[in-house]
Amino acid sequence: MKTRITFILLLLSTFTFAQNVISGKVLDQKGKPVAGANIYIDGTYDGATSSETGDFSFETTSTGNQFLVVSFLLFETFKNEIDVANYKNQTIKLRENVNTLDAVVITAGTLESGDKARVSVLKPLDIVTTAGSAGNIVAALQTLPGTQSVGEDGRLFVRGGEASETQTFVDGIRVAQPYGATTNNLPTRSRFSPFLFSGIAFSTGGYSAEYGEALSSVLLLNTQDEPDHNKTDIGLMTVGLSLGNTQKWTKSSLSVNMAYINLAPYQAVIPQDVDWNNPYQSLGGETVYRYNFTNGIFKLYAAFDSEKFDLNQKNINFENPIRTDLNNNNFYLNTSYKGTFGTGWQLTSGISYGYSKNKTKYDINDINTDENAAQLKLKLGKKVSNYFKLSFGADYFITKFNENFDDNISIDVKNGYDSNIFAAYTEADILFSKKLAMKVGLRYSNNSLLNENNIAPRASLAYKVSKNSQFSFAYGDFSQTPVVDYIKYSKYHQFESEKAQHYILNYQFTQPGQTFRAEAYYKDYSNLVQYDTRDIQYNSVFNNNGKGYAKGLDLFWRDSNLYKNLEYWISYSYIDSERQYKNFPRMATPSFIANHTLSVVTKYFITDWKSQIGFTNSYSSGRPYNDPNQTQFMNGKTKSYNSLSFNWAYLLTTQKILYFSVSNILGTQNIFGYDYAKLPDPNGVYNRQAITPTADRFFFVGFFWTISQNKSENQLKNL
Amino acid sequence: MKKIITLIALFVVVISSAQTQFEQGMTKAFALWKEGKNTEASALFERIASADKNSYLPNYYIALMNTTAVFTEKDKTKIDLLLTKAQDALDVEFIKDQNNAELYALQALIYTGYVVADPMTNGMKYSAKVMEAYAKGKAIDPNNPRIVFGEADYQIGGAKWTGVDTKPLCAQVDKAIELFATFKPETPFSPKWGLDRALEIQKTCK
Repeated sequence: MKTRITFILLLLSTFTFAQNVISGKVLDQKGKPVAGANIYIDGTYDGATSSETGDFSFETTSTGNQFLVVSFLLFETFKNEIDVANYKNQTIKLRENVNTLDAVVITAGTLESGDKARVSVLKPLDIVTTAGSAGNIVAALQTLPGTQSVGEDGRLFVRGGEASETQTFVDGIRVAQPYGATTNNLPTRSRFSPFLFSGIAFSTGGYSAEYGEALSSVLLLNTQDEPDHNKTDIGLMTVGLSLGNTQKWTKSSLSVNMAYINLAPYQAVIPQDVDWNNPYQSLGGETVYRYNFTNGIFKLYAAFDSEKFDLNQKNINFENPIRTDLNNNNFYLNTSYKGTFGTGWQLTSGISYGYSKNKTKYDINDINTDENAAQLKLKLGKKVSNYFKLSFGADYFITKFNENFDDNISIDVKNGYDSNIFAAYTEADILFSKKLAMKVGLRYSNNSLLNENNIAPRASLAYKVSKNSQFSFAYGDFSQTPVVDYIKYSKYHQFESEKAQHYILNYQFTQPGQTFRAEAYYKDYSNLVQYDTRDIQYNSVFNNNGKGYAKGLDLFWRDSNLYKNLEYWISYSYIDSERQYKNFPRMATPSFIANHTLSVVTKYFITDWKSQIGFTNSYSSGRPYNDPNQTQFMNGKTKSYNSLSFNWAYLLTTQKILYFSVSNILGTQNIFGYDYAKLPDPNGVYNRQAITPTADRFFFVGFFWTISQNKSENQLKNL
Repeated sequence: MKKIITLIALFVVVISSAQTQFEQGMTKAFALWKEGKNTEASALFERIASADKNSYLPNYYIALMNTTAVFTEKDKTKIDLLLTKAQDALDVEFIKDQNNAELYALQALIYTGYVVADPMTNGMKYSAKVMEAYAKGKAIDPNNPRIVFGEADYQIGGAKWTGVDTKPLCAQVDKAIELFATFKPETPFSPKWGLDRALEIQKTCK
């Protein structure tokens, strides 16, 4: 009896170990065999690797229904329930892994930088190591195709658009006042130090439905998710001081940066073409606080700066120079939360508030302005599969602007506006295969000030033609509230949004160390504001009948393979653009547009000298100007512009850097345009004065010191 | 009595067969790896990981194999996939145990993979992460030779750019080599790699 039981037990156990054969073939979508795929029964040791012909066969001791897993690096893992007793000669088709780096991405209009970018045209360090950029994000972007260098303004002009047609976003939320205060023909700078941002996406057109209120371009800056570690940065510069500190805790971190800039000592040494009563001074600070939750990250970004200067500028209309005394206070706060929940859901939300107060004394006039701007944003995204993503969201913008003009004699007026814009959008990302991707979106907005509704469709498509090259196409409708100069007179005139349509065709070729892009575009402007007076006044007769176009070709080539330790890029832009807007009597090319723009940027690291040396050459052809002495409007053209800049960063020790840069080393006498007198002289001639840089060259010397635990850290990225 | 003996015998058979299955699997995987059949070896580690969730080793080796593949991989588009796979495997083990110095040494190596793949883009972000991972590992086991060596090796590699003094780093390499000599792996399959490269770096130090 006992033996019998034992026998049965043994039999049972042998039976349990009975073998089932699993066999089949692994193929890809095209029916080609996949060799080297791992096929196994989940939770067991039983499995095999597919052969050259994709065939596999193995035995398993498991019984009943089991999960069969097929995994291979380049494909999505396949998991399916099977009956092990009955799975022979089956065919398994694997889907390609569309998360791979070689999958197609929509590139029309977008120039990206940062670690999330698939193809970086600009690397994080470039902002600061590009000669001539002097740590100004915008100056570095001006070496990319599609931008116009407008030396007397300093802001970003994109593809025939005015500077105001570009909007800046920090962590997805709009910045109402992205530039520092300035006056007539003195260039401004971006308020943001490149230091706190880890990714930059610069779209020169055809961008996502997530962004609105921008006719030409969006600049997306993303703050770092996590800083490296605790450290203190000290900078001593010929133009001021800077101090930064970062503290990192388990789940949160705080970075603070302060800078004090005073141009007085510099201007005492290097003569300027400007008569300063009080040279430019500013005190500014930025802070980022981050807190990591299990499924998300909260960020708070705050920046303030206070600027002042006082100068006398020559003015062709007056015998004596005109004095401008300006004080600006600016505050910006931005909080955002980004996280995931459920299965494949992503939530992004944020609130921003910006406050800017300008006190300007221009000659005897007092002009005081203040602006309050806020944005609320909520965005939801759902990844339905690797092939389909859906996102939708809503925005609410509130802007209150007041201006008080007092000429201290007779006129004392107040102008301003309150604007509320509600917008909602939806967008779908569809990947048909690794080769074909599409993005379609729709944006709806309601503007209470202009009393109008807008619907803007956007679409883009990308097709990969070979391993290294692809084509993209983008189309979009864009609208934007007219600039403050107009809408502050909203109580006298009902304005409408200005509109633009973009068509972009892009070709991109990439291989390790090399990127080539060519982009052709056509932009159609309509509904632009026109007025009938010399200057914009409350009693001008306004209309929205203006129109225009811009078409052109942008080329970009970046290479790091040519010579060891040498990186360089070349950008060339051709543009043909005319507009009839403002008080233009007919279609004409505006004065900020040069037909040809060429930038060559080089960086060379010399290991033996522990130095990085860089040259940047910027060239643009002549820009039009209007000469009232001639009958034809906008008939003049300045001579071409050229500037060669140089920089040198020297690592004294790992943590101490000496930095030197000089712009326009050749001392080219550049002319941006001409200001003509409002009235002719007794001989009937309108006199003019040239608009030139305040100085031919700008020298900069700085010493940067990082104090941290990690001795290899330095401020090379800050330069 | 006989019944009890039979049962015990059966029990023992079952247990020992389970043990040998893991050991057999690991031994076979290492043999395949040695022969250069990396795909098969990695596949086997993957199967062992799916069947045996008690040991961190199968996932550790999946991560290690995919990471080291990056240093020789010429197809840049694959690098991200390899490192993602390595990270996924390592993450499975990090969830179970955050106090294993070996996991941090490997984490640092994955980050190093990103730096090597594209230093200009990834250098800044991942360098800090590499150092942080080594620091965490060191806090758990200051005498783990892979951590002591890895940390020094990474900094020596970057010295050309950072201008850091390599002398104290070379001293760390010497120390690591001593640690390798006295290091006793917990099981026959536990990590014990690294000495060869340490000796190579030691040569360049002199």
